[in-house]
Amino acid sequence: MTILAIESSCDETSMSVIKDGSIDLGTVILSQIDIHKLYGGVVPEIASRSHVESITIVLEEVLNKANVKIEDIDAIAVTYGPGLIGSLLVGLLAAKTLAYIYNKPLIPVHHIAGHIYANNLVKRLEFPLIALVISGGHTELIYMEEDYSFKRIGGTLDDAVGECYDKVARVLNIPYPGGPSIDKMAKLGNDTYKLPLPLNDDSYDFSFSGIKSAVINLNHNELQKGNTIRKEDLACSFQNKVVEILTKKTMKALKEYNVKNLIVAGGVAANSGIRSSLEQECIKNNIKLTVPPILYCTDNAAMIGAAGYYAYQKGIISDINLNAKANCELGENI
Amino acid sequence: MKYLFIDTCSNCLIISTIINNKIDYFFIDKNNNDTSSKVMKVLKDAVNDINTIDKIFVVNGPGSFTGIRVGVTIAKTIGFCLNIPIISLSELELLATTNTDADYNVALIDARRGYVYAGIYDKDLNCCLNDQHILLSDIKYPNNYTVIDNYDNIDLLKIIKKHEFDNPINPHDLKPNYLKRTEAEERLDDKRN
Repeated sequence: MTILAIESSCDETSMSVIKDGSIDLGTVILSQIDIHKLYGGVVPEIASRSHVESITIVLEEVLNKANVKIEDIDAIAVTYGPGLIGSLLVGLLAAKTLAYIYNKPLIPVHHIAGHIYANNLVKRLEFPLIALVISGGHTELIYMEEDYSFKRIGGTLDDAVGECYDKVARVLNIPYPGGPSIDKMAKLGNDTYKLPLPLNDDSYDFSFSGIKSAVINLNHNELQKGNTIRKEDLACSFQNKVVEILTKKTMKALKEYNVKNLIVAGGVAANSGIRSSLEQECIKNNIKLTVPPILYCTDNAAMIGAAGYYAYQKGIISDINLNAKANCELGENI
Repeated sequence: MKYLFIDTCSNCLIISTIINNKIDYFFIDKNNNDTSSKVMKVLKDAVNDINTIDKIFVVNGPGSFTGIRVGVTIAKTIGFCLNIPIISLSELELLATTNTDADYNVALIDARRGYVYAGIYDKDLNCCLNDQHILLSDIKYPNNYTVIDNYDNIDLLKIIKKHEFDNPINPHDLKPNYLKRTEAEERLDDKRN
């Protein structure tokens, strides 16, 4: 089964042709990051405007790259949410139009399901599993018993982990997107600043607004005292705390649910501190860890095509009235 | 010749088909607030076989930013996939097709905070004031004019006849005509100046 997938939930216009949920025949990702850099973050209206300008260009490119005709596609999969509503709508309307023109089934895919199934493009998922989804917009722990069955066991109560990285970067005057830079700087510094371990309780929830405020206050106080901030040390202190809590709660979930497979997904899965901490713990506890390559970590349509295949197997198909949702729970009825 | 007309720029959703200069199908919903989910169903009802369409006329603004993108995305996608020529139309010119006794129709769309999108057209749809985002109080009205701000008596065939043989736009190049930059862009420019 060949699926044409469309993803436009934030600032990447992406399309992909995916065979049987696992083979990437061609993926195009048009990132708007250079535009949003000017504004220090993603501007929703500008993102929507960019999507509409590039949507058919990306379509033409992906068909060429995958060397297929739309007539040969079996179904159209599209991210319906969560995300920026104006951005989602452009991809969704293109998908609905294609489904209408070519009379193909339309498969609605939840963005987080996509991130999880990015791993399926590398290696077939093994169940049961725990998925840690960490990105600029999401921080979630998901339990999966089988394909396309999701149980959310926890998630952030405020900022997403990637969002927190970007905000801390801004405090340190590191240009957007600052997450990757903090990761690099952390390796050069020492854990010398005292910061709180965020939401260190028995739940599977996370909270990153406290540590973000702690960094802002610390920076402010040091400047007031006339001290200069040792950026590398602060980056290291901050990253250590984030890594510690993410690792702690993820390992706890694996233990309590008696699961031997962990997958990490989302843009922040590229963070080397988080990766190496989870790798060490997984080896210690005899757990199989899968992390997708960077290309499939950040937003892309290949993961939507992979997830769409398994959604279709479960009979998840939408009619032409499908609408975009800025907020929606994984596994809820569409 | 069979034409498809799409206007999703405002609360008034219009989808129509025109065969040999006669309205074949006309759908209008003046209080529509759910264009993105409804529009495909309306389109499906209007056109049985999309391959029979010879030309697409799409209104690409001004109006609701999201609304504009709905129609433009649909038109681009159809135009690209099926190689159907696309002609873009102004929402203000569409309003100005309304038949009145006046010499000039002043088409207005509310743009909030005292601003409007405005365009002035004569009886033959010649543009006398280019479509623009302007303070309502700054508009210079011509003699013998009528203000048009609703879709009650628009004349679809008039605007299509006027633009029937315009050069079609490559679907990749079809863009919304917002007539207004985003607030973020305006602020960035203010900062730079």
